[in-house]
Amino acid sequence: MKINIWDWYPIFLKEMIIFKRKLFKLGYLLSAMVVPIIYLIVFGFGLGRSVQISSQDYLNFLIPGLVAMSSMTNSYNWIVNSINLGRLYFKTFQIFIQAPISFFHIILGEVFSGMIKGFFAAFLIILVGILTSSKNFITLPFLIALFLNCFLFASLGFNVGLISKGHEETATYSNFFILPMAFFCGTFFPLDRIPYIFKPIIYILPLTHTNILIRKSFLDKEALISLFVLISYSIFLFVLGVRFMKQYSE
Amino acid sequence: MGKIIIEVKGLTKTYDGKRVVDNISFFVKKGEIFGLIGPNGAGKTTIIKILTTLVKPDEGEVFINGIDLLKYPQEIKKIIGVTPQENNLDRDLTVYETLLIYGKLHKVKDLKKEIEKMLKLMELWERKDSLVFTLSGGMQRRLVIARALLPDPPILFLDEPTVGLDPQIRKFIWEIIRKSKAKGKTIILTTHYIEEAESLCERVGIIHKGKLIAIGTPSELKEKLGRFVVEHINGDGRLIQWICKTEKEAYQLIQEKKIPLTIRHINLEDVFINLTGRKIR
Repeated sequence: MKINIWDWYPIFLKEMIIFKRKLFKLGYLLSAMVVPIIYLIVFGFGLGRSVQISSQDYLNFLIPGLVAMSSMTNSYNWIVNSINLGRLYFKTFQIFIQAPISFFHIILGEVFSGMIKGFFAAFLIILVGILTSSKNFITLPFLIALFLNCFLFASLGFNVGLISKGHEETATYSNFFILPMAFFCGTFFPLDRIPYIFKPIIYILPLTHTNILIRKSFLDKEALISLFVLISYSIFLFVLGVRFMKQYSE
Repeated sequence: MGKIIIEVKGLTKTYDGKRVVDNISFFVKKGEIFGLIGPNGAGKTTIIKILTTLVKPDEGEVFINGIDLLKYPQEIKKIIGVTPQENNLDRDLTVYETLLIYGKLHKVKDLKKEIEKMLKLMELWERKDSLVFTLSGGMQRRLVIARALLPDPPILFLDEPTVGLDPQIRKFIWEIIRKSKAKGKTIILTTHYIEEAESLCERVGIIHKGKLIAIGTPSELKEKLGRFVVEHINGDGRLIQWICKTEKEAYQLIQEKKIPLTIRHINLEDVFINLTGRKIR
């Protein structure tokens, strides 16, 4: 079959049209932003100036973590909902399955659209960070971490959306995987404060490595290890998605 | 006999231990309208889903235009258009955007021109900027059919194309189906409306509990059974029927019975009841 490298574009375009339409609904925008803003106000502005972490203001420490957390949840949730509802309830996912494009491109289109959602959420936090933080946190490792984080969690969202047998089941994955990661993987406090016995589990989880990489000024040895872990997760989850798609049957 | 364009051999699909498609074999000739008729839950939609790559069968083979569906589904997707039973439209897209995305997925050339042509054909051009969820059921159905026709595929699968629609829209969609046939397209449709099958299909397959229990032209199937039905509603409100081979036989029966009787031509529903002992619902 002749492969067109732009085959993913119609899927991406569809998601972007819907995203743009939803974006102009104020309630939708606020609901997407409400959790990180609450954390920023409670932890950042509440403790931010008075608490020092890793020899810096807590606010400076927190903002990159919130970027990681917010980009994770938004990339993931967008795709999970889009795939799961489209597959089980609205049946719109059938259109992609029946289109003469490869499964690779279907996932790519969906993942790219999830990434845009993640970038958008991150952008809003970055904006707040630029206005409130005294430190320049936008570095090369920061940008790489943000990119990989969005790609990785959009890919995860695709897989969960595809294998969940009901929409309630996607909430189970969120509650047992996404939510704990948001709290225990270094978003709100440094990883060295985690009890020793939990460290092996924490270091397996991808958001931990996003939080390590996103706070680095340059690519040192620790950053390179985290980079390697994030790339490995990204490839693994994307390939897993292709595999699930090959087995797709209603 | 025309060239065979779809060949189905021994198709079987089981869900939770229940065989919903049970060793089904049939063929469809190029340019014909072939109908799968049967009640809800008979297995018609599952057959369509298998033929349109949504469901993988447990057993069997399917060849479409000589291509093995199970080995080369991507090649099949280039030559088929599908109207599913449910209106699987994105509620948050406009009518125009719906066709734009679909056209891009299927690499339709001169897309803007083709969309305009299709929307005018389906009498939806005035609503091109309306969001899908604001359309009536009939309009959504027309949009789903417009979408399937947009890439001009040689083979169309229409799963219950007129279910739940008022008679006027139903006739409109029948006209579109006839026009598509006139253009040389092969059409496979499922329906549980007998009138629809008799009006449109050149050959039909009757599906019951996942099995293909009869196949042929509507007139062949009917003539095997008889030509006329004489009916009487008794005091309990029960319908009593007699099937007669000839008109003369029917009128003789009326004279013999000496009770109020009506006479009508046999239809495919009578064939179905005769084969299965139940009505198509």
